[in-house]
Amino acid sequence: MTLRSLSAVAAVIDVECAKLAAQIKVRLLLAVCAAAPFVFAVVMRIQSSVPSDTLFGRAIKESGFAVPLVVLGFAALWAFPVLTSVVGGDIFSAEDRYGTWKTVLTRSRSRAEVFAGKVLTAIGFSCIAVAVLALSSVASGVLVIGPQPLVDLTGVLVPPSQALIRVVLAWASVLPPALGFTALAVVLSVATKSSAAGIGLPVVAGLTMQLYTFVDGPEMVRQLMITSAFGAWHGLLSEPPYYRPLVHGALVSAAYVVVCLAIAYRMLRRRDIGG
Amino acid sequence: MPGPVRLAIAAVAIAGSIGCGSSPITQARIEQAIAPTFANLVHAQVKWLGLPPMAASDFAVRASCRKLMAGSNSGSGEWACTLVWLGPDRQPLRDSFDLFVTTDGCYTATASGESLGGPTLRATDGSHVRNLLYAFDGCFDTT
Repeated sequence: MTLRSLSAVAAVIDVECAKLAAQIKVRLLLAVCAAAPFVFAVVMRIQSSVPSDTLFGRAIKESGFAVPLVVLGFAALWAFPVLTSVVGGDIFSAEDRYGTWKTVLTRSRSRAEVFAGKVLTAIGFSCIAVAVLALSSVASGVLVIGPQPLVDLTGVLVPPSQALIRVVLAWASVLPPALGFTALAVVLSVATKSSAAGIGLPVVAGLTMQLYTFVDGPEMVRQLMITSAFGAWHGLLSEPPYYRPLVHGALVSAAYVVVCLAIAYRMLRRRDIGG
Repeated sequence: MPGPVRLAIAAVAIAGSIGCGSSPITQARIEQAIAPTFANLVHAQVKWLGLPPMAASDFAVRASCRKLMAGSNSGSGEWACTLVWLGPDRQPLRDSFDLFVTTDGCYTATASGESLGGPTLRATDGSHVRNLLYAFDGCFDTT
């Protein structure tokens, strides 16, 4: 890729970021990511019951580091597919909705440059959304409950400094599957030319994959589900820690990203936009 | 062969190499997971209660687990485990737990008798602490 192409991609990213910044749904989503963990932590502190059906739910009143892990468990089920699809599932189909493809592609930008710029913007937004939710969850746990030691998934009492590092790593481990969902949303956005499908179908796919994990089916199929990678952090909160689920999750996520983006680019390149 | 098709085949090949066959939720894995976890929790509970500290290995926990479904001793679902261990006074103790194990190798263990006490315990300083042994969660590697 030449310097000129890089500069062209950067220009596309600039434009896409300006468009995103003007969207109320994007601002609202980031505001919810920042505020929701604090509301959750305050409610947990006030009420007598605890979410005992979730990992670390029983420890939520004892250690603030349990809060980001409970939020991580909830987010893997419901929030990540939405957060990571809301931009990726709309960024291409919005041009179809507004009929602006001809305007975009008659500028001095190639389809490859426009594709790269839009994909990088979608990936960037997914990373920012996950990071905001992570930071807010950790901050809410530490500020509302307190930085007490945490009992990990093998019963070991982990000191606060170690617990913080492991919680941060656990949140970092969900980035690969989050990007996998973004790529899935991108390909659906390009293929269907519909934002409803681009955002909705990855969410439905995520729920279907989660439902499959309740069934005692073939292990290979379970590991092919990108949602399995959202739980790979369990090994980081164990003593001794185990990392193979993280490696498997990263490989499966990378496969989703490469395949989805390759198909999306091929479809966009071959599309007859000139009309 | 078109590029995306080649990529899809490669992705399936990578994923296929990850593993297939029988369930990775086995009796041996559950027993090897719950015994040290229980020992670590007893160690933490002793500390929280303000009792003289003991090493987790001093409790010498041994686990024996079976699946609560006839004809199968692997897979997710309901399991029952009996833990034999040495109490703080070196007396052998025996406790039973009902487990629910999920396909990702995580489990919830709930004490099935009263011998380990209720959800909370009173520490030596009079404060109430959570009974870590009443119900606990754990995870093990299924790969």
